[in-house]
Amino acid sequence: MAGPLNNGNPAQFAPPPYLQAFRPASSMSANKFDEGYSEDTRSQSGSEMALRPDARLGEGMALDQDVQFPLPDWIMSLSEGERSDFAYAILRSLRTSSIAGIVEKLNPLLHLDPMIHLPPEITFQICSYLNPETLLRASTLSRRWRTRVLDSPLWKLLFRLEGWNSNFPQVRAFEELERAKQAERKERKTRSRGAEDLEYEKPSTKKRLRERTLFGDGPSSDKNIHAKMEPLSLTGPKDGPPNWSEQHGAVEADESPATRREEAIKSEDRMEGIAYHDIPSSPESSRQGGKAAESSNDSSALTTPNLVDPPVRPTLLLTNTMEPRINWQYLYKHKKRLEDNWNAGRFSNFQLPHPMHPAEAHTECVYTIQYSGKFLVSGSRDWTIRIWNLETQRLIHPVLAGHKASVLCLQFDERPSQDIVISGGSDCSVILWRFSTGKIIKILEKAHAESVLNLRFDDQYLVTCSKDKTIKVWNRKEIMPTDDTYPSSTTKSSARFPSYIIDMQHYVETQHIHFQPLQPYTHLMTLEGHNAAVNAIQILDGQIVSASGDRSVKVWNVRTGACLRTFSGHSKGIACVQFDGRRIVSGSSDETVRIFDRATGAEVACLQGHGNLVRTVQAQFGDLPGNEEELEAEARAVDRNFFEARRKGLVSTELTREQRRARNAGSRDPNALFAFGAKLPPGGGGSKWARIVSGSYDETVIIWKRGPDGAWEKSKILYQNEAVRAAGGRPHRPVERRAHGNHANNAQNNDAQQPQQQGGHAATPLNFQALAQQAQVQAQAAQTLAHQAQALHAASQTMQQGNAAATTNSTAAAAAAAAAAPQNANAANPQPHAANQGQAAAAPHHHHHHGPHHHHHPLAGPLNGQGTNSRVFKLQFDARRIICCSQDPTIVGWDFANGDQDIIAASQFFSDSV
Amino acid sequence: MASASTDAAKVIKVTTSDGIDITVDRQVAERSILIKNLLEDLGGESTDEPIPIPNVNEAVMKKVLEWCEHHKADPPASQDDDSDSRKKSTDIEEWDQKFMQVDQEMLFEIILAANYLDIKALLDVGCKTVANMIKGKSPDEIRKTFNIQNDFTPEEEDQIRRENEWAEDR
Repeated sequence: MAGPLNNGNPAQFAPPPYLQAFRPASSMSANKFDEGYSEDTRSQSGSEMALRPDARLGEGMALDQDVQFPLPDWIMSLSEGERSDFAYAILRSLRTSSIAGIVEKLNPLLHLDPMIHLPPEITFQICSYLNPETLLRASTLSRRWRTRVLDSPLWKLLFRLEGWNSNFPQVRAFEELERAKQAERKERKTRSRGAEDLEYEKPSTKKRLRERTLFGDGPSSDKNIHAKMEPLSLTGPKDGPPNWSEQHGAVEADESPATRREEAIKSEDRMEGIAYHDIPSSPESSRQGGKAAESSNDSSALTTPNLVDPPVRPTLLLTNTMEPRINWQYLYKHKKRLEDNWNAGRFSNFQLPHPMHPAEAHTECVYTIQYSGKFLVSGSRDWTIRIWNLETQRLIHPVLAGHKASVLCLQFDERPSQDIVISGGSDCSVILWRFSTGKIIKILEKAHAESVLNLRFDDQYLVTCSKDKTIKVWNRKEIMPTDDTYPSSTTKSSARFPSYIIDMQHYVETQHIHFQPLQPYTHLMTLEGHNAAVNAIQILDGQIVSASGDRSVKVWNVRTGACLRTFSGHSKGIACVQFDGRRIVSGSSDETVRIFDRATGAEVACLQGHGNLVRTVQAQFGDLPGNEEELEAEARAVDRNFFEARRKGLVSTELTREQRRARNAGSRDPNALFAFGAKLPPGGGGSKWARIVSGSYDETVIIWKRGPDGAWEKSKILYQNEAVRAAGGRPHRPVERRAHGNHANNAQNNDAQQPQQQGGHAATPLNFQALAQQAQVQAQAAQTLAHQAQALHAASQTMQQGNAAATTNSTAAAAAAAAAAPQNANAANPQPHAANQGQAAAAPHHHHHHGPHHHHHPLAGPLNGQGTNSRVFKLQFDARRIICCSQDPTIVGWDFANGDQDIIAASQFFSDSV
Repeated sequence: MASASTDAAKVIKVTTSDGIDITVDRQVAERSILIKNLLEDLGGESTDEPIPIPNVNEAVMKKVLEWCEHHKADPPASQDDDSDSRKKSTDIEEWDQKFMQVDQEMLFEIILAANYLDIKALLDVGCKTVANMIKGKSPDEIRKTFNIQNDFTPEEEDQIRRENEWAEDR
């Protein structure tokens, strides 16, 4: 510690040290970050400080005297240690009360404000270790803290750390649009303003910053000025909030706002800059407020200048940047509020069709929907596909007619580069439609031997699955045998390839053979291996995941057709599946939803709660980027716990595997555990925002959330009919249309519940409330009727059982016939429960029916709406909504934005879930 | 500290901002990516020349080197961009906790030095230490901890507090 200069003693950071003996904090910062600056800077700031002792931040007024007391040169030429001894000697010569006074004055010097002494990139990192609650608390500490802590990029990181997904392209597009708007506004302005802007945009940020600091009173002065000014200009804080929130307009400030400055420093100055001593000064922000108002037509802002910067309420666009920038704190806040709405069950309902345009509705039950952005596409038993605008709740095209039977499955991609809808149906065909026009591009006639139950496509492939037990793969683009995407047979593959698929290995030597390219939508291979109808399919990263009535899920390599793994666990046929790369989530006729670890095949959760076949499921785990290892480590820790508990005899060995399995919905309790060695922890891992939504033939939609122990629990149960009423429509009994001929013999059991079916379509209800009540009464009456009808129905069906498979609907009688099947129905008797349930959407209702499920013919299921509600066929959810289709021709949605405009505005930037 | 007479390749010298030369094991000094890159640029030839570290004074440099010495055997930090997006823990190992029990000025200087010298792990520990000084405290306690002057009016503070209610778990 002997250095003559800068030896670690704060007093020696600045060259005229005698002026700074009592100022470790400011001198440290002023000098340290000054490194590389001219001597002028130092002497200037030094003398300024000497003249303006009040410029020091964070010291009591009491210091004035001390600071002005000049220390003789000889003292300052002593070493640190000597001065220390000397000071101590002086102190010891004082009365205790004087010492106490000095200690009190010195005390604040030992506590330094990191936001003053550390540059933004470092305080950013510090803040990144804090949770939002703490950060918000920190935003009340001081203006400087507020600026740093509400830094938009920091909240972007926090948003990601929650495992929330955002739609970056949308963010960029929005900012781009705002930029264009801003440019347009500027264009219209007078030249004088334009010049001002120009000056500002010159690359002089750095210079200006330095000037500010040089001619100011050092880093802390602005703050002092600020503190003095602020009460004067604080005109209307009480009626402030409405105005803050309205200041969405772009800000054109003369002064570089804090964030801007920080950015400049980040890129240019890092260590040396003083300028990150950001000063959210009030004259500046009030001026900003005025200009913001000017450019955003918000005149009220003029009268109540916004003094808190960032504003008290976050706005969608940052108020302190030149260019329009999305404010991530705003997104974070409203994402959190949206999640709170999900958890509390706060939502508004909507329906398709719009209640004022009931004629746009499907005329029969809707088997499939998908939505993306503002569009929803639905496929119905009425043979049609309809494309809806979710914002207007109106059709964007006339109905898409082309299928010659029920539309069972579809997927679309509205992006102009894709512009496609692909659908499959009971007519065994697959049809390609142009999304933008609704016109047919191509029909794959007889794509399968039986109903096409599901299809999915990615950029390269279309995969379809069918009641015929097979899966087929088709190319979406023209491919050559030399392409990576071209099928390649392996010995492991049991796939059948059409004769035109050549085995490239045979042609390796033959150099000059002329290959024919395969035209788009050529059948590439058939995957065989399931013993029953393949009800659901997914494709992701070259892997096909299929779920079948044979109770198994299989994973296939899309290029070779090899079956990579078979997952078993469900005790009855599987109706739906979702795959996110790590987990396979499936819903089954055994009334459960199960989660399997893709890597090991382990079943990591079993969700029990539905009272009938689970027809549709979607899961969102909210993975953090790159958390595989963490999940694995978590899984291992749970395993260790389990074996430890077993060693200690804490785990009951009495339980059969079945019993344990049945109980575990993802709990980590060793007693509940049954799968170990998985790469996923029980429940499947993911963030606390993880969510599963499932829809069932028990006529409910269940929202599942994780409980405190990690196990999945029912969070909410939703009913389609309640949603329709709340949406301003009226629930319909599933509608029977006999127009298709093949339903003719369903008449006898449909009449019972037809009374109020189509009435709603004919007369547009204007008084929805009244009608809804009326409908409710009718529904109850109908239910009574229906129960009577059911008894009759069952009796009559027994008679018809012989030809049930061909054309009639199935019933309790059919179920009885199949009663023995579930126990031995696997390889030997693979008639799939789920498959049949899946297609025969219109099966009669059996409340709390837990028996074996019915076998229906897909084309012939009648619509027996004996319940008060409708079987759920397909649902999808995103950050904001659940939309589902059911036996009721009306498609309904639950919007958890619940009418909140901020949440709605923010939601466009939340990405769709898997 | 090793003297200059030992294997020259294994020992280097740095000159601190206050003109003090410090001799240090090369392995220890290379915890600093800045120094490591410098040495690599020099090609191992002129290691007799002290490396000037103009932004760090002797007291802080010694403290930083103490940390480097203790952590010289640590595996090199993974250059993983993902690490930023992972959930962050503020857990600090015991030795580091003790190491960081210094006055705030020294703490901040260590952080700044770690940033300048590019010693990521030390920067992390420093930032975590500051974060832990903020965690679980009331605004007044935080203000006291860092001597923060509250420049909000009571009305403003009240408005902000009410606005922040959305973040409370309901």
